[in-house]
Amino acid sequence: MNIHLNPLLLKEFRQRMRTIRAPLVITAYLFGMCALTVFLLYENVQGQLYLVQPTKSQQVFALVSLLQMVIVAFLAPAFASGSVSGERERKTLAVLLTTPVGPFGILFGKVVSSSALLVLLVVLTLPVYSLVFLYGGAVPAQVASVLGFQLVTIVVISTVCVLFSTIALRSTWSTVFAYGSVGLMTVIFGALGYGLKSLYEQNPIDYTALVWSHFFYALDPLYVEAAFLGVVSAKAHVWIPFVEFYAVVIAVLLVPSLWRLRPQWFSWLPFVSGTEKQYQ
Amino acid sequence: MILTQNLSKRYGKTLALNNLNLNIERGTIFGLVGENGAGKTTALSMLATLTLPTSGRAYVCGHEVTKEPKAVRRVIGYMPDSFGVYDDLTVMEYLRFFAQCYGVDRRTISRRAEELLERVRLVDKRDVYVNNLSRGMQQRLEVARCLMHDPDVLILDEPSSGLDPKSRLEMRAVLAGLRELGKTVIISTHILNELAEVADEVGILLRGELVAVAAVQVMVQHSSAYRTLVIDGRDLGSAFVKALFADPHVAEVRPLERGWEVLYAGTLAQQAELLSRLVADGFAITQFREQPTDIEQLFLRLAAIQEGVTL
Repeated sequence: MNIHLNPLLLKEFRQRMRTIRAPLVITAYLFGMCALTVFLLYENVQGQLYLVQPTKSQQVFALVSLLQMVIVAFLAPAFASGSVSGERERKTLAVLLTTPVGPFGILFGKVVSSSALLVLLVVLTLPVYSLVFLYGGAVPAQVASVLGFQLVTIVVISTVCVLFSTIALRSTWSTVFAYGSVGLMTVIFGALGYGLKSLYEQNPIDYTALVWSHFFYALDPLYVEAAFLGVVSAKAHVWIPFVEFYAVVIAVLLVPSLWRLRPQWFSWLPFVSGTEKQYQ
Repeated sequence: MILTQNLSKRYGKTLALNNLNLNIERGTIFGLVGENGAGKTTALSMLATLTLPTSGRAYVCGHEVTKEPKAVRRVIGYMPDSFGVYDDLTVMEYLRFFAQCYGVDRRTISRRAEELLERVRLVDKRDVYVNNLSRGMQQRLEVARCLMHDPDVLILDEPSSGLDPKSRLEMRAVLAGLRELGKTVIISTHILNELAEVADEVGILLRGELVAVAAVQVMVQHSSAYRTLVIDGRDLGSAFVKALFADPHVAEVRPLERGWEVLYAGTLAQQAELLSRLVADGFAITQFREQPTDIEQLFLRLAAIQEGVTL
């Protein structure tokens, strides 16, 4: 069977995985996660590793999962933020745009290849989670949902970063936008949710504050992950508004991204005509 | 094969290309000569579907570039004037990647890559990383890359720009070899002599307008018999001038603010020999380049003669 994979994806995989950097990053990451998990387990049971204490084990599971989420959230821009702007700076984009791959193929290839190493990192940490299983406290369904949400977050952040990398003409700016977006998602939205909830707690009649608090919390991947872990009490299916919101954000960002790649498609707009050269 | 009708492009208030009318037959190698900013790159990027015309039409293999860009992309191989390469890919992987972009099957890719590497004289570099190739080799590799999906039309924008005489000579041999493949080729350059042994027909672009189209021999005949070389380096004094005049093709040497201007009657191969000899004599040369053809003068000469020239 002749499977036609996106050629850009194959190329990126080859380029990313052939140097010593990728195995080094993976090894260092796994070593760090293993060491941390063992240390937390040991500390939580105060050296009595022969005792089975599911509550303590669950705390370790939650801490490790949230830490992993923070790490992947801040690593994703490093892989994705220069993906298209880098092609433009290297002057390889124009040639790519004259091939049948097209803008959608370019964006798809870049998103998947940027996410791939992080997805691999998350999948490879599964044996680390098995250490937690040893002491109970986490059921397989919960582990699956936590990891599943981490994968969704990786794809969301990578997509947003690739789109910013397409919109911003320089990698410097796309990196600023990418880290700004991750900061907004993980810090600002969480802080807004927390602030509005505090406001509601001081004035319980102010129901609007509570609604907006739930809204902002639902946009914070750390909060949604914490909800999956049962660390915070959140509405059921809090991940749905997360997915819906970022699907809209991606759809909105897709328009200027396509405009940067194929200004010809938007030539009916008055301000676009004659701008192709600088974008390619 | 390539047809343009009143093709024009405006960038804001600047008219980059004005009513370009071309009709390039199948199998023709057509040269587009003009100074920097004459509209060569604009014309070629419109044919390559990267830029939309402001007005007029362009057809490649019967497909209109604005209405059927996908069909056009399938039949063209485009080499931009300024291009980059991917780090961490070998020559073979580089060619394979672009062939895969066009959906060429695996067996054909290997066979064609070998053939093309032979053609562009890079067969011994197949496992070398692309970023480790010299500029001249990268430019030849680009020609091979353009041919990987066996397109009917090649659009080459200044394929010899920035190359030293030896590399230009090698590139010229590669371009001359395209004739055997029966491809329709459009090449832009600002050095008319580049096209002498390569092109069938040449068009002159002057400030966005195609002012003349003629057979390449007619153009070369009416251009100056001399090439103007600019040579610069460290401590190039009277000994250097003496060494220059040792070459029988050097007609005149004039001092510039930095370096020397040399009127030279030799061929490109002889130019390469001159450079090798000067370097071997121990002169520290930092710049050795040919001045672009004075297009305006050439046009005036052609307009005056009017023989065999379509204006």
